[in-house]
Amino acid sequence: MKLAKNTWVMFVIVLIATGWITVDNRYFKPRPVKFIIPPGWPQPVYDFSKNPLTEEGFVLGKQLFYDSRLSKDGNFSCGSCHQQFGAFNTYDHNLSHGFNNALTTRNAPGLFNLAWQKEFMWDGGINHLDLQPLAPITAENEMAETLESVTSKLRSDNQYRKLFKAAFGDETINYQRIGKAMSQFLLQLVSSNSKYDKVMRGEASFILPEQLGYEIFQKKCTGCHAEPMFTDFTYRNTGLPLDLSVSDMGRMKITGDKNDSLKFKVPSLRNVAMTFPYGHDGRFFSLLSVFEHYRKNMVVGPTTDVLLQKKLILSNFEIGQLTAFLYTLTDSTFLKDSRFAPPGFENNANPPADIHQ
Amino acid sequence: MKTIFFIFTCVLLISVTSMGFIRDGDNKIQQRQLALIFQHTMGGDKLVLGTPCKNILGENIIIEKFKYYVSNFSVTDNNGQITKLPAQYFLIDEADPLSKNIILTIPGASIKSICFLLGVDSIKNVSGVQTGALDPLNGMFWTWNSGYIMAKLEGTSEVSAAQGHYFTYHIGGFKNGMNTTRMISLELPEKEVRANQITITAEINQWFKGKSELKITETPVCHSPSALAMRIADNYSTMFSINAAH
Ligand code: HEC
Ligand code: HEC
Repeated sequence: MKLAKNTWVMFVIVLIATGWITVDNRYFKPRPVKFIIPPGWPQPVYDFSKNPLTEEGFVLGKQLFYDSRLSKDGNFSCGSCHQQFGAFNTYDHNLSHGFNNALTTRNAPGLFNLAWQKEFMWDGGINHLDLQPLAPITAENEMAETLESVTSKLRSDNQYRKLFKAAFGDETINYQRIGKAMSQFLLQLVSSNSKYDKVMRGEASFILPEQLGYEIFQKKCTGCHAEPMFTDFTYRNTGLPLDLSVSDMGRMKITGDKNDSLKFKVPSLRNVAMTFPYGHDGRFFSLLSVFEHYRKNMVVGPTTDVLLQKKLILSNFEIGQLTAFLYTLTDSTFLKDSRFAPPGFENNANPPADIHQ
Repeated sequence: MKTIFFIFTCVLLISVTSMGFIRDGDNKIQQRQLALIFQHTMGGDKLVLGTPCKNILGENIIIEKFKYYVSNFSVTDNNGQITKLPAQYFLIDEADPLSKNIILTIPGASIKSICFLLGVDSIKNVSGVQTGALDPLNGMFWTWNSGYIMAKLEGTSEVSAAQGHYFTYHIGGFKNGMNTTRMISLELPEKEVRANQITITAEINQWFKGKSELKITETPVCHSPSALAMRIADNYSTMFSINAAH
């Protein structure tokens, strides 16, 4: 009897002890989110251990992504240049409208599958996803003053203080947390449900032109647009003549290496039907003009890729089949996924009106 | 029952006592505090931002900003034993008097030399957004080409051909071949080995004539990782000295 009593006493002591250890964190229990790697895909490169995904982090990140107060003049959110129905590119615009800065000399790429990407921007200048928001927010290269005003805008907002607390445990608002929260949203933009993916999973099959297009694609394109990401994340010169009005030297701007002159990141071709116009400066208005470039208009220069020294031989027939195949890369589940819609528009079937000017 | 009770007691005892051991262990090495005072000079005179002066090449200049990172400290004792201090990053800013006094916790009573990295090591350049001294808010981070500006010297000079007669040297770059961090090693004068406070002087003229000449007339601007940035970093790596007089 006495022994049993002692055991109980010990048990209670241990319980209290563990309770005491965890009491600090009792009110901070963000709900973890599991990041699912689509079957057959490589491991992501993003280090999730430094920024574990949670429901609360995602909610905050999405709020930030769609908040125009992050911009200097209060007119532009990330979402105004990165629109969901265009796979988060600037739909139907060669250059994005926004602050009058270097960003607008390039075409806004779609945003998806960023967890697999190591470097960002057409020249790969940004080496970590958490850092990405700094570039558009600061607009100019080194406008630290603006950074300050953004954080203070957020700090003075009661709702943000609550969201930061829910996501990180306390109300501290700083750039590290803004970057991490934004990444929580961006990382979950996974596009892996196109017809192509379904065919690969054995859930659907290509019709003949798509199948033929796929075979041509594997012969002529996967050297750079490698499956399953449809990019190998390298930088290549595909013979786009230099546009003298902006003199964008691409990768060379980052490495300072002449051999990198006019090289740009190989873009993913997922959702390519939706991400027109094309090319780093949006100079191609249609897939057809991209093909015309590859087979005719390319200018082969000293840094042009070895795979393209003789341009690409493409017949009209092949272009038709390739186009059919590229259309199978459209992931309408992703384009319409209500989780990624602006806060308040989750149940709205229609996308919000085009909010840019 | 008896065994359960026994196990409980053992577990409790072990956890309580082992906590005690860890605490004790930490205190074994004798630690003390060492204050480093950074002071900035131009031709031997105390630097005053916003006032005209002449650099060693005879160019008239007004310095408006002078900032740099120091990190990865280590100290060497009399026996040549090197101790790496815990990772700490400091942004020394001429405009912020508080930033110019830093406090390190060092082992041992006397040290022979002190060593630090002028700049931010490559790991912190590729690990996303940092806080504290490394917060991008401090204006020492390139957002278009990720990486820290290790050191910054800005001002105006009538000889500068750049817009507004500015000269702006933002020195950064951490990748192989373009790494602008520099290891600085400073011997302590004999009588300072036990001091609790050491003054480190940075002479700005070394930017202009450290290992090679940097003429504002020729190159008023450096804004990206480059051979020029490497050359300027080589120059300013010679700017530090420890004053013997106290
Ligand atoms: C003014 C329009 C505009 C705004 C606002 C904007 N972006 Fe962008 N974004 C662009 C453009 C243009 C690029 C391509 C720039 C480049 O490569 O130099 C880009 C590139 C990116 C990339 C890199 C994609 C890749 O595959 O390399 C990410 C990620 C991104 N933006 C996220 C954001 C986030 C987060 C925000 C809000 C903080 C934001 N953008 C705000 C126009 C914009
Ligand atoms: C040598 C590597 C390479 C090969 C081979 C290649 N591409 Fe590309 N592709 C690129 C690069 C790099 C870009 C971006 C060019 C730029 O804007 O500077 C690009 C851009 C594109 C774009 C525009 C995408 C966008 O979002 O802007 C399309 C479409 C495209 N390629 C399709 C193809 C097809 C189809 C093939 C095969 C017939 C092919 N590419 C072969 C490297 C390559």
